[in-house]
Amino acid sequence: MRVLFTGINHRTAPVELRECFASRGDTESHLDAFRERFPGCECVIVSTCNRFELYITRPMHGSPDGDDLLTFMSQRFDVPMGQVASATIHREQDQAVAHLFRVCCGLDSMVLGEPQVLGQVRRAYKTAAGCGSAGPVLHRVFQQAIATAKQARTETGIDAGRVSVGSVAADLARQVFADFADKTVLGIGAGEVSKLTLRHMMDLSPRRLWLVNRTLKNAAELAEAIHLSADLGGARQWEQLDELLVEADIVVTSTSSPTPILTPQMFKSILKRRRYRPLFVIDLAMPRDADPKIGSMTNLYLYNIDDLRSVVSNSLGQRGEQAQACEGYIASAVTACMSQITHADLGQLIRKLRTKLHDIGDDERQRTLKKLADQPGPGEIEAALDEHTQRLINKILHMPLSQLNQHDGDAPLGFYAAALRRLFELDDHEVSCSEDDEMPVSKTETQTGDVRSRTSHCDQPKTTRKMA
Amino acid sequence: MNLANPITTCLLAFLAVMSVVASVRSLRRLSRPEQCKTAGVAQRAVVAAIMLVTLGLFVRFWLFEAGWQPVTSHRDGLLLMSFLLSGAVLFIQSRARLVGLAAFALPVLTFVLTWAFCASTWTYQPFDLPNLHPVWHGVHLTGVYLGTACCGVASVAGGMYLYVHARLRRKQNLGGLGRLASLEALENTIIRAATLGFLLLTLGLISGVVVASEGGVPLSWSWWFGPKIVLAVLAWGVYAVLMNVRYASSFRGRRAAWLSIAGLVLLLATYVVVTSLPYTRGTQQDELQNDPAGRAAVIQPTEGG
Repeated sequence: MRVLFTGINHRTAPVELRECFASRGDTESHLDAFRERFPGCECVIVSTCNRFELYITRPMHGSPDGDDLLTFMSQRFDVPMGQVASATIHREQDQAVAHLFRVCCGLDSMVLGEPQVLGQVRRAYKTAAGCGSAGPVLHRVFQQAIATAKQARTETGIDAGRVSVGSVAADLARQVFADFADKTVLGIGAGEVSKLTLRHMMDLSPRRLWLVNRTLKNAAELAEAIHLSADLGGARQWEQLDELLVEADIVVTSTSSPTPILTPQMFKSILKRRRYRPLFVIDLAMPRDADPKIGSMTNLYLYNIDDLRSVVSNSLGQRGEQAQACEGYIASAVTACMSQITHADLGQLIRKLRTKLHDIGDDERQRTLKKLADQPGPGEIEAALDEHTQRLINKILHMPLSQLNQHDGDAPLGFYAAALRRLFELDDHEVSCSEDDEMPVSKTETQTGDVRSRTSHCDQPKTTRKMA
Repeated sequence: MNLANPITTCLLAFLAVMSVVASVRSLRRLSRPEQCKTAGVAQRAVVAAIMLVTLGLFVRFWLFEAGWQPVTSHRDGLLLMSFLLSGAVLFIQSRARLVGLAAFALPVLTFVLTWAFCASTWTYQPFDLPNLHPVWHGVHLTGVYLGTACCGVASVAGGMYLYVHARLRRKQNLGGLGRLASLEALENTIIRAATLGFLLLTLGLISGVVVASEGGVPLSWSWWFGPKIVLAVLAWGVYAVLMNVRYASSFRGRRAAWLSIAGLVLLLATYVVVTSLPYTRGTQQDELQNDPAGRAAVIQPTEGG
């Protein structure tokens, strides 16, 4: 099996493009569409506000390839092919696995080492597993990625301290306001991102914290989840949004609304009623809840998810040592994971080979027994056994030798020759030097000096040479 | 060059040069923070040095100059402003967590110190203290110089406000300088400093009018509408708006910051006018005498120059 990764993230695609991937349909429907288009492949989709990534396994020789995946993404999300192609990154095998490990460890996050991404990957994996879209290979890859991330985070301290988007938003609020004892925070939306960010906002000890959601019950549940006491604030009706915006000093918005809910028209009157008090708006939604135009209004500071990246761009430098240690963990874990995948693949291959050979053997055995059922003489028995052996050998060799004859160019002919020689322990003394020259030199051979020994064989006088 | 007091001149030259170097470094730090990791400490050290040296100069004048009073010339006034401004910056930065204020105060201090150096070296002119009313003149100078120092603090905070505001708007990396003062804290500083400056300037202006009209002679219209008075009243008006910026909400934020800088520029322009233009006392009697040149050298410093 081959492991592939294709996707866009905050490094490669602007927020406008990421919105297109976030706003259309849910993950389950995307997984169903993928499996319908590429049956026999495994797929996990990691879709967060910062990334939309597909982790796929497919047979070694088959589809989808990179272009197929680009076409799928372009058609599925109705984004021009050129736009998708310019923003997409594609990795295969160990690089694809390493990317997932880096994502889980938070090394690819906007805020280096942020812990939330691990939960998001876990949820994506569970969703795929629930849909039956994650198979044995992706089960192994994702389980190891999550386990490695946990270990790396614990041992390197990459996520120590306050390093989430919520914490950065809270730090940024400190750049606008000095004292929060007389400030009002307004949370719009009742999702996970809102919860995390509002928890950090509560650490600032504001005077009031209101929660607004289209479904009041969800806002009330969020208030309970963040232990919001009644005297500090609580859930409010969606219809009160305008009034609350007049009162609020900090607005954290993270709804799943496909269109902006905070518009310039709305804020024209609100800013006047606020007497132009500074307003800090943090838009963590994908697609965005706040129209970018409001960011240029008087005394209004609007930050979206991409803007937060510029604020924390130096976090890599501050956590350079931890990141380096984390990379070390990832490198060894990826090697181990890929080795397991290869071994598992090989084991499956051997099982299939055994089954196939047993089937051939059983067929021939039945045929030979049928021939011997009429109590033949000793000469007939010997002839039947010779025929049995000959047929068995021919049938077993038929497939590989016919493949060699057909030679479709996937690998050089010398590669197959070398494989046969290695697998069946065919003596190199019996092969001509000219054929040796065509054989690819494996890394192991180079390291162990087998190349030298083979060259020395060529220098020897040519004796009996038989083709394998 | 007036080398009557070479030690003072040398010290002022040293302070001015040190302040220039620190200002350049602070500007460099603002543009490329990663290259100047320790500049924050250095800036505070320079501001502290300015405060201590100016204080030392005052002590020296007091001990070694016979009959010296706290403000006997424009040079002393500028030194007093430097001392107060640097002290206020250090105090505010430590108390109100207005980190980074020193970087914005250094250019203002550089300007004031350079001016003090010039006033000490080339245009040194002691006030005609014996001919002036000791109380009103004292009140006038105290109000004007202390008020200007407060306005200097407001403008420094205003400059920093504009810088932080620009960075927040451009979404630049705000972590590079460490945590800078918040916009709210800076606006509060602007309003408080402007309020105090407004009160002191009011005192200075009223006492100035009293000093100018000494003897009960009415002041002429040309005096009232002269550039000095117009600029001073404009600056006073700017600070009147600034101290009420929370109520005049359309002036909040960036506009308040610009106003604080404009106010200081107007005040400095007033000083320039006072020290450079020939002076008439402004009474109708003086104008009739039509002898401004003869009195200018004597009475010029009474209005703070």
